[in-house]
Amino acid sequence: MTGIRDKSLRSALITGLDASVQDILATMAWTSVSFEGREVVPDLLLSDGVAGLVRMQGDHEGMVAISTDKPVGMELVSRIIGLPADDLNTEDLLDGVGELANMICGGMKAKAGIGGVQLSSPVAIVGREYSALWKTHLKTEILSYALDKRLFRVHACF
Amino acid sequence: MKLLSVDDSRTIRRVISGIGSTLGYEVLEAENGHQGLEVLEESSHEIGLILLDWNMPGMDGYEFLTTIKKHPTFKTIPVMMVTTEGEKSYIIKAVQAGAAHYLTKPFSQEDMVARILETMGMGGQGKGA
Repeated sequence: MTGIRDKSLRSALITGLDASVQDILATMAWTSVSFEGREVVPDLLLSDGVAGLVRMQGDHEGMVAISTDKPVGMELVSRIIGLPADDLNTEDLLDGVGELANMICGGMKAKAGIGGVQLSSPVAIVGREYSALWKTHLKTEILSYALDKRLFRVHACF
Repeated sequence: MKLLSVDDSRTIRRVISGIGSTLGYEVLEAENGHQGLEVLEESSHEIGLILLDWNMPGMDGYEFLTTIKKHPTFKTIPVMMVTTEGEKSYIIKAVQAGAAHYLTKPFSQEDMVARILETMGMGGQGKGA
């Protein structure tokens, strides 16, 4: 599998991803986040309480994931659905986090204006203790956002 | 009149249900095209608008759309695509297949309300308004 080597395309995707995160959290979850920074790490390794992953296939390949702790995940899903967080069960959280990942990745594609990329159905993970690793030679760029002093991360591996 | 939301994400179905109920519409739900057809078989006479996702396991939104547009009864029900797929090629494909509206996720409540009212011919007022 080859990642995206074209620097301007990578830059457009990362910019689109950032815009997509802010847009989706504002429009669907009625919340704003502040950008905390970005870093490049060797692997796509997830270990926060909840995560959602979407695979990109076609002309450009890779994976986009979101991760955060369970209270933030519950809060975001509760805001999207319009129900109190206490009323949500694990299935609600799984579906909501998966849909959030799906919308963020779809938004990235649209804002970057790239065609020829198909998105997989999202995979969602909720757990007290887990580590999930995607084996690939591609590096991962992590965009971190603060939401009520807690972190919401977006992992771009392409 | 009722609305039918066909989306594999129950989060989105709930969002649409919430918006529909504020407008005074009951929202029927299906999680893929096959289930959507089952709902239409039973309740098509009550459904005034179908809100349809594109990517779903089983029968996807495009297959569902082309199927109902060939159906003698179902073909008159307007369809609004509600999807993360925002590429022009998808929009053209959907409109050519008979979709009346195309709304990309994320959508604001105001956008969704306006599109529903427009399609249902309410001109700015919900059924319950």
